[in-house]
Amino acid sequence: MSDGYGLLKGKKGIIFGALDERSIAWRIALACKREGADFVLSNAPVALRLGALDALGEETGAPIIPCDVTKDDEIEDLMNQTKEHLGGVDFILHAIGMSPNVRKKKEYTDLNYNWLQQTLDISAISLHRVLHHAEKMDVLNDGGSIVALSYIGAQRIFSKYSDMNDAKALLESIARNYGSRLAKRGIRVNTVSQAPTKTSAGTGIKGFDGMYTFADMIAPMGNPSADECADYCVTLFSDLTRKVTMQNLYHDGGFVNSGISEEMINDLAKIYADKDDE
Amino acid sequence: MSQDVESKVKAIIVDKLGVDESEVVAEANFTNDLGADSLDTVELIMEFEKEFDLSIPDEDAENIATVGDAVTYLTGKLS
Ligand SMILES: NC(=O)c1ccc[n+]([C@@H]2O[C@H](COP(=O)([O-])OP(=O)(O)OC[C@H]3O[C@@H](n4cnc5c(N)ncnc54)[C@H](O)[C@@H]3O)[C@@H](O)[C@H]2O)c1
Repeated sequence: MSDGYGLLKGKKGIIFGALDERSIAWRIALACKREGADFVLSNAPVALRLGALDALGEETGAPIIPCDVTKDDEIEDLMNQTKEHLGGVDFILHAIGMSPNVRKKKEYTDLNYNWLQQTLDISAISLHRVLHHAEKMDVLNDGGSIVALSYIGAQRIFSKYSDMNDAKALLESIARNYGSRLAKRGIRVNTVSQAPTKTSAGTGIKGFDGMYTFADMIAPMGNPSADECADYCVTLFSDLTRKVTMQNLYHDGGFVNSGISEEMINDLAKIYADKDDE
Repeated sequence: MSQDVESKVKAIIVDKLGVDESEVVAEANFTNDLGADSLDTVELIMEFEKEFDLSIPDEDAENIATVGDAVTYLTGKLS
């Protein structure tokens, strides 16, 4: 396993969103390297200033290119630099999400609308912007694969996920919409709906531990780790999945199709029996 | 001059942290009083750099913890 399968030999890509070694994008970068890919790493200037990304760049031999994905000129710069380093690219990972409202603990019924715009711009519209510039600037190779990371909040409401529920719904829609347009070139666009994962963005959400445990108990296989998500994304970047497009693919240990687990039924029965006794 | 620095600094803080202007007093600590997380503090430093067209080394940034610290530091750098 540690040698990989050579699934991405000769492939080139752009990986957005590695902040520190817990980041899902960080794990994906390591897996892509293992499978033989070459790529550039990109993140917002403020994330680069935090300083951890240099280590990943060294480990994978990847250049690091700053880019705030809400700014068109910065995306254009990134695409130009990517061309210089790699020529065209065969895959793009979008692992970007941020809500100022969640970070500042604004209730959903009391959102700051400027921040809502930022949430949508950073977490969803950025996928459109990146694809737009990549296509117009001729950076995307035919037969390529785009993956954006999503969360089941797009379908089911998790209260503490607040306006990120809306952002993920928009992200998944943009992936389908763009996927239909890139299909004629054999380029596929999918979202991977990952289970709760202990990262900087994840644990920044109030009540995250509860959400993590809830999902872990209901999913028959339990929550998949960031490394397991990375292995799945590798298959989506490979040619083995060349007709999979416009999908939202759950990577959640079976959570989405499970009602409740035996263990939870038993535990809940005990909790409520105790309550009745009170 | 320092009046000018102060009002610009305050405007950046109000905008970035989404706090009320009345809370942005000299002794207010970004983290403890104004609810900044670690990303916010780095973002604030980068906004100051952009607004005043200078660079703030990490060693200096570590000592800027309150509104007053920021105003004093930036006024010193600009004079
Ligand atoms: N952690 C979870 O529980 C979980 C579950 C499902 C999906 N996801 C999604 O996975 C993706 C990666 O998140 P993560 O959990 O690895 O956390 P993370 O904090 O490591 O990654 C989020 C990234 O977004 C970047 N970012 C924020 N604003 C940006 C901007 N303006 N321009 C460029 N980059 C910007 C951050 O710098 C950071 O690298 C996100 O889309 C997240 O919503 C996370």
